[in-house]
Amino acid sequence: MREALQETLSYAVAPFLLEGALTAIEIALLAMLGGLVFGLLLAMARVSRAAPLRWVAWFYIWFMRGTPVLLQLVLLYDALPSLGIKFDSFTTAVIGFALNQAAYSAEIIRGGILSVNRNQSLAAAALGMKPFLTLRRIILPQAMRAILPGMSNEAISLIKGTSVASVIFVNELTFRAQQIVGQNFKFFTVFAAAGILYLIMTSAVAALQSYLERRFNPETRHKETPLPAAPTSDRSWTARIVQTGAGPDAAFVQCKGVHKRYGGREILRGVDLTVARGEVVVVMGPSGSGKSTLLRLINHLEALDGGEITVDGKYVGYEKRDGVLRPQSDVWRARAEARIGMVFQSFNLFDHFSALDNITEAPVQVYGEAPDAARALAVSLLGGVGLAHHANHLPHRLSGGQQQRVAIARALAVSPRLMLFDEPTSALDPELVGEVLAVIRELAEAGMTMIVVTHEVRFARQVADRVIFMDEGRVIEEGPPEQVLDNPTQDRTRRFLNLVGPRQD
Amino acid sequence: MGITSVIKLSAPCCVGLLAMLGALWATPARAAETACEPAKLAVKYPSLKGVTVKVGQDGESPPFSHRDPKDFSKIIGLDADLARAVFACAGVPVTFVTGSWSGLIPAAMAGQIDVMWDTLLYTPERAKKLDFVVYMGAVTGVMAPKGNPKNLKSLGDLCGLKVTAGLGTTQEAQLRDAAGKCTAAGKKAIDIITAPDIPAGIRLVQNGRADAFSTNKALVTSMAEKMPGVFDIAFEIETGSKIAAGVAKGRDDLRRAIFDGLRAIAADGRMQKIFADNRIDFATARAPEVLTE
Repeated sequence: MREALQETLSYAVAPFLLEGALTAIEIALLAMLGGLVFGLLLAMARVSRAAPLRWVAWFYIWFMRGTPVLLQLVLLYDALPSLGIKFDSFTTAVIGFALNQAAYSAEIIRGGILSVNRNQSLAAAALGMKPFLTLRRIILPQAMRAILPGMSNEAISLIKGTSVASVIFVNELTFRAQQIVGQNFKFFTVFAAAGILYLIMTSAVAALQSYLERRFNPETRHKETPLPAAPTSDRSWTARIVQTGAGPDAAFVQCKGVHKRYGGREILRGVDLTVARGEVVVVMGPSGSGKSTLLRLINHLEALDGGEITVDGKYVGYEKRDGVLRPQSDVWRARAEARIGMVFQSFNLFDHFSALDNITEAPVQVYGEAPDAARALAVSLLGGVGLAHHANHLPHRLSGGQQQRVAIARALAVSPRLMLFDEPTSALDPELVGEVLAVIRELAEAGMTMIVVTHEVRFARQVADRVIFMDEGRVIEEGPPEQVLDNPTQDRTRRFLNLVGPRQD
Repeated sequence: MGITSVIKLSAPCCVGLLAMLGALWATPARAAETACEPAKLAVKYPSLKGVTVKVGQDGESPPFSHRDPKDFSKIIGLDADLARAVFACAGVPVTFVTGSWSGLIPAAMAGQIDVMWDTLLYTPERAKKLDFVVYMGAVTGVMAPKGNPKNLKSLGDLCGLKVTAGLGTTQEAQLRDAAGKCTAAGKKAIDIITAPDIPAGIRLVQNGRADAFSTNKALVTSMAEKMPGVFDIAFEIETGSKIAAGVAKGRDDLRRAIFDGLRAIAADGRMQKIFADNRIDFATARAPEVLTE
């Protein structure tokens, strides 16, 4: 027994086997890197909107996963030379395993991407972030937690799986162990030594996995960063944000004959709406009436099916050719230039960023502002919405009302010329509604142009310059709050107000 | 692993022919034509000038191709020694490339290696893909536990027993054939267990899971010597098949260099010494012969 142990250990440090282990690591590492990069591209193709891209990626993955890697290696090594391409064993193994790995990685990465709530991309898009930036800054860091365990499995399989490459003359660990056994038949001690070396290598992968998991876990990664400049407590914070331009009568948002369909269903059937600069318009109506869709068309989160919308006289991400509006390919750029802030019902804060980082993300990444200046602004905005002491907190440690106030501060950080609120208090407990409405009211008082979708009748009465009532994709009633809310002309409006009204008044 | 290497051996060889050919190539009159002239490389085999020949082997098939126990980085064995001697004779440096046996034929065809020299059995089917230079006959050896307790003397004695052979080997085919004869004679068929590699087959016999292991004779002999008191050769079967080195079609200089080299070392007695050094019966050697179809 003692002898067997000594023999095993002597094989475990034998240069002949160690070189084989090194070969296995080198191939696995390079193939894994190549597989990751290519796999990421494939995953993006798989979730792409372009159908041909999806098909090509699907076919590639189907083929690579469906055929033995042994055959792929032999083909690369022995069939390519007839086409004049001749790689050596090592290169062939790296390429072959990388191509194979890409197919598996693609599906793991795609799974990770799908595990991230779609609202995260929606929020990023509303901030004018371009798709690649969203992927890099928002989606992938969050997807990592789902991706890492799977990728770690793959890396370990790959290290052990490189032995398949002996068919193309790669002399890695298992092959070399077999060579020794073929010579002396001491299979037990030789294979045990190889096993020890494999364990050491795979332990390194496991350690890397746990390091990366800690790194991508917002809880453990998060450091308390010292905050710049004391937050301002005066009420003038809104003045820094809100730019009051030309006279209040100038039409700032114009919607003409707006149509939108989902599948065969008509959501908007010709909506006309004009919002003047500095005006606060509250949109009400039953669910399914098209209110949220209208907001998403204004900042081009969704594409128009008919009609047109201008903000400050310009289309957002459309150009008119031959009298027809066509979406531009870089809609994200148009969204950024339009500076339209948006606040969602479900807050949609970036879950892996602190409150402060949520706010500085767009100014720094989209508008290229200096990080220090962006942080200073973020701190003052947080002070403005009453959350100066929560700057370093992750969203899930904040209450719903606090999250929504951070979301408002985030939207304000890009100096918006128009704010869209999509039922900002609907997801909140009743006692938290007030704190959010107070912030919105302050903005209104400062002269911000706003469109607010809400069911809060009292808020509408106090803050709105005009109330719009929508039903079944049309504006059926509009006017000053006292008229629409207190003396509605439409039966549908009256019935709706009877339902939501008593709760608030 | 070397399982596939076992495929290659077997041969009920015509002893008379062998003796005749042996006499032929050893004739002193031919000595001048078969001399080693490494200095004349550029003249005799112009396309090999400046080339290092890559010899493909699996390195797991003792005593043909295996690692040197004193230095694992070195390949030794009959096939390795023959290759070294033959290319030294032509004046061409060699390097050994090791990979699993099943990858060797495709690699030789694709030009990733220059020669497959690893107990490769000639078959007309394989000759459509490679040219062959024959140098020995294949003999199957059936290995039994020490003392041959079941008293096995021929394939007929294996009826009703558990016998292992490498998957896809000539020996497996022989056993299937013999099993059919057992049934035809009203006896129980042979229970054939296919092994993925040679050490696995050996372990089956060692652990009493199989009564015998059928593989190539030289391998069995070397095993019986390496593990004295564990195995014996029960019996052997001559198959008439030929073992050869394989080169890609169209590599005429290379094929000639191997053929000339084999004849030269056969003539000067080095071949006999290489067989002896590797404890392989020189009677299994054959006159060098080129087979291209």
